[in-house]
Amino acid sequence: MWMVNLRVTSNARRVALVLAVVLILGFLLLPGQLQSVFQGVGGPLGWIISWPLSAVAGVHDRIAGVWGGYVALQGMEEENRQLKRELELLKEQNVQLRESAAATERLATLLEFKKQALPSLIAAQVIGRDTGNWYKTIILDKGASDGVLPDQGVITPAGVVGRIVKTTASTAVVLLVTDPNNAIAGLIQRTRDEGIVEGTTQGQARLKYIPLLSGARPGDRVVTSGLVEGFPRGLAIGTITRIDKEEEALFQSAELTPEVDPSRIEEVLVIQSSLAPTEKERLSMPRHKP
Amino acid sequence: MKALLYGVIIVGIVPVQSVLLPHLTLWGVKPDLGVVAVCLIGLISGELDGLLVGVAVGWALSLFSAQDVLTGAMLKGGLGFVAGLAGRQMVYLSPLVLVLGLLVVSCLVGLVTPVVLKLSPQQDLWWAVWNVALPQACLDAVIGGAIYWLMWSQFNIEQLMSESRM
Repeated sequence: MWMVNLRVTSNARRVALVLAVVLILGFLLLPGQLQSVFQGVGGPLGWIISWPLSAVAGVHDRIAGVWGGYVALQGMEEENRQLKRELELLKEQNVQLRESAAATERLATLLEFKKQALPSLIAAQVIGRDTGNWYKTIILDKGASDGVLPDQGVITPAGVVGRIVKTTASTAVVLLVTDPNNAIAGLIQRTRDEGIVEGTTQGQARLKYIPLLSGARPGDRVVTSGLVEGFPRGLAIGTITRIDKEEEALFQSAELTPEVDPSRIEEVLVIQSSLAPTEKERLSMPRHKP
Repeated sequence: MKALLYGVIIVGIVPVQSVLLPHLTLWGVKPDLGVVAVCLIGLISGELDGLLVGVAVGWALSLFSAQDVLTGAMLKGGLGFVAGLAGRQMVYLSPLVLVLGLLVVSCLVGLVTPVVLKLSPQQDLWWAVWNVALPQACLDAVIGGAIYWLMWSQFNIEQLMSESRM
């Protein structure tokens, strides 16, 4: 049997008591200041922890990659056939979309819209999930030193993933769109009705505050409205699966299936800056005189 | 030696909790190794160690979560301090008692956390109990019990605890 000396003197007890009292008083009386101290000093601690975190995530990804590659071989032929079918369909859609794009360009010129630049994006890899059970977040391998800052939007080519809530020098925490504590301004693409998209405890999302007279129906797509910082207009959030209309309620709400499955995200894009004005900025711009 | 052990726990707990434990979930809930580690350290080494390691572990875990950093540090620090106080009052601690104790403590922490964090109205107390606190407490108790049992078979735990209470 091993023996380790972990003797605690009565002095240590007194120190512990004083420290506990100081911390509790600080928590109760100066929460803001103490919070900024913890967050500020947490930078170096976060930087140190990001090393083993990246190493463990790398090993985990390699193992998952080998395993996934082996399992994927089982259904490769069927998947190949299905992908070919999808490719044909997408080719056809591409032709239609080119036509629509050309028409939109002509109309935009007519309406004297300014040519909007695309936002600059930072590619990042998912290296972990939330350390607790209360929030649905993912951890990215890019942080403040790469230009990633709180409140920036995070997307994949499929749609919105979430919003950056915390950063260290080399990592960032993204609160997912499916978290009940997240809220993003959304817009029903077909009816142009606006609302707020919130996550649910079931891992889905919900569009709230839809006007009662809205003709929204299941199958309608919801996109970002560009009213809040972080997301330009028109990024896919999800598809409506159910409309909830309660009697005597001022608004209706809709259940959404998010475009992005948060449990399968591996790489994301962080919207660093949007040169394109948000809807709020656009509305506050002075109009050009004819 | 002790400082090195604590350092490894503080730095190593984040990768384990965020990369490996999502594969070990019960109804989508993963154990909180922070609670287990802080309780064990507090029980065995006393209030000061429990408090300091608790604050550091809570702080480190909160840096990689959407959770408020101060709240995380305070909750785990408080837990370590209370575990230290409890450890001082005990003459003998069997793995079974520890499992039951961890179950109760983890449940209580799970009840306090949503209130302190001021979560969304969807995540009310009832939801918190059934969907997070209880499954997490069960996992914490099992893992804590297993670690304590391992320590029990390798170290002279009673002597460690009695020395720490001197």
